[in-house]
Amino acid sequence: MKMLTEIGNIVLFLRDLAQVSVKNKLNTHIVSEQIVKVTEQSFLTTALAGFFVGAIMTVQFTLQVRDFGALGYLGGLATSATVREVGPLLIAFMLSGKVGAFTSAELGTMRVTEQIDAIRCLGANPLLELILPRYIGIVVSSFFLLVIGLFMSIFGGLLMGIVFSGINPEEYLRHIPTIVSAGSILSGLIKCFVFALVLASICTYKGYSASGGAKGVGRAVVSTAVATMVTIVVADWLTSFIGDVIVTLYLGSS
Amino acid sequence: MIAEFFGLFGRTLAYMITPPYRIKDIVRQIQFIAFESAPVVVFCLSFAAIVTIIEASFHMKLIIHNDSLVPGFASLLIIRELGAVVTALLVTSRVGAGLAAEVGSMQVTEQIDALKMLGIDPIRFLVVPRFVAGVISGVILTVVATCICLYGAVIASEIKLGYTAGHFIMAMRAFVHFNDLIQAMVKGAFFGAVIPLFSCFFGFRCRAGAEGVGLATTNSVVATSIAVIIIDFVLSWVFSYLYI
Repeated sequence: MKMLTEIGNIVLFLRDLAQVSVKNKLNTHIVSEQIVKVTEQSFLTTALAGFFVGAIMTVQFTLQVRDFGALGYLGGLATSATVREVGPLLIAFMLSGKVGAFTSAELGTMRVTEQIDAIRCLGANPLLELILPRYIGIVVSSFFLLVIGLFMSIFGGLLMGIVFSGINPEEYLRHIPTIVSAGSILSGLIKCFVFALVLASICTYKGYSASGGAKGVGRAVVSTAVATMVTIVVADWLTSFIGDVIVTLYLGSS
Repeated sequence: MIAEFFGLFGRTLAYMITPPYRIKDIVRQIQFIAFESAPVVVFCLSFAAIVTIIEASFHMKLIIHNDSLVPGFASLLIIRELGAVVTALLVTSRVGAGLAAEVGSMQVTEQIDALKMLGIDPIRFLVVPRFVAGVISGVILTVVATCICLYGAVIASEIKLGYTAGHFIMAMRAFVHFNDLIQAMVKGAFFGAVIPLFSCFFGFRCRAGAEGVGLATTNSVVATSIAVIIIDFVLSWVFSYLYI
């Protein structure tokens, strides 16, 4: 019951946000500031995580593919899995740990120290001034981070392919374009977009509606982390499922 | 900073094997880490299993035009990687953040200094029970989550790919060895050890004010996630040499 109320509140919050964003002119300066800030903050983390995830994927796929003598496909397989599935999920997890927690803590602190009420008193709309730039910043910079993470994962996979499974770099790279199709890249981008929307909605809402002093901020941060993790995994399944249905509708049974 | 961290780690290990043992505290922490996280972890992992099945089938069809090996591969992937790593990442964001916030606010409100004044070592009192509980519940959660995740995979492969549960289990027996489960448990233990260590470390270093607590929480979650991924990579590598 409590969960339903929460979902309803998020929907109302998003409706207000959409109204504000349609009616007012966007302050592009603040938005680009946020984009730069979010990208800069998470750059190193994402690159590091992407590198090691690519390496892990290569090690695991090597163990599986080696028995069939299909090591040549290793590069394509590992990259395809990263682009379609693991990359967006990883970026979302990293963002929710870093940016999600930070944003909800920041907004929550503003709420409990009555800075948000002060903004309203000055005749400005906190949704327009605070929430919307952060929301757009998270969504846009997630794409930059996705690209960084994917390139780093290809690099990590290539390195592990040479060191661990002993195939030439050329062999590893050659099958990437044949297996990774435009559809896979599109699916990865759509997933990344959906995860970023979910993450931005939850962390701004939780921070904006925090209450009850410093402890309330802590509670908001922890519940943001849990809620984003659960919603991202569910959204992952949902996008896979809907994408599957759409592909089947257009191409017939594959 | 790294030296400080290993100092904390070493003292935790030293205090862990010397009495008093604080069994009651450990049990309470296990209840917080393992029992209360279990529903979220199990729920998320079941969805992750379904997605794994769908994606594995896609890739298999792309390369060998046949997805009859998907149950075996997917169960191998779930047991070796997914079960331990996704569990660890979820526990990091739930328990790790909670512990860092708890220890951080204790530091800010000078409760840790009060403990020192009373002659109680904060590492023995705070870190050791959480560390031991983290290791134990890492193993428990990984095993439970992997089992339920496999159920999810069975259901998904039956509905989505049309392979019966019997076929799935036959394929699993051909691909998965008992060693793989032990590997998952070792990974779970390592991840469970890392989470409380990092949260307590960043909690102890917390600077004053509400912002300090938030910063400590964020830092500990990020550091733990990165550490989990790196440890997973190292362990996968080591185990792949041990088995062959």
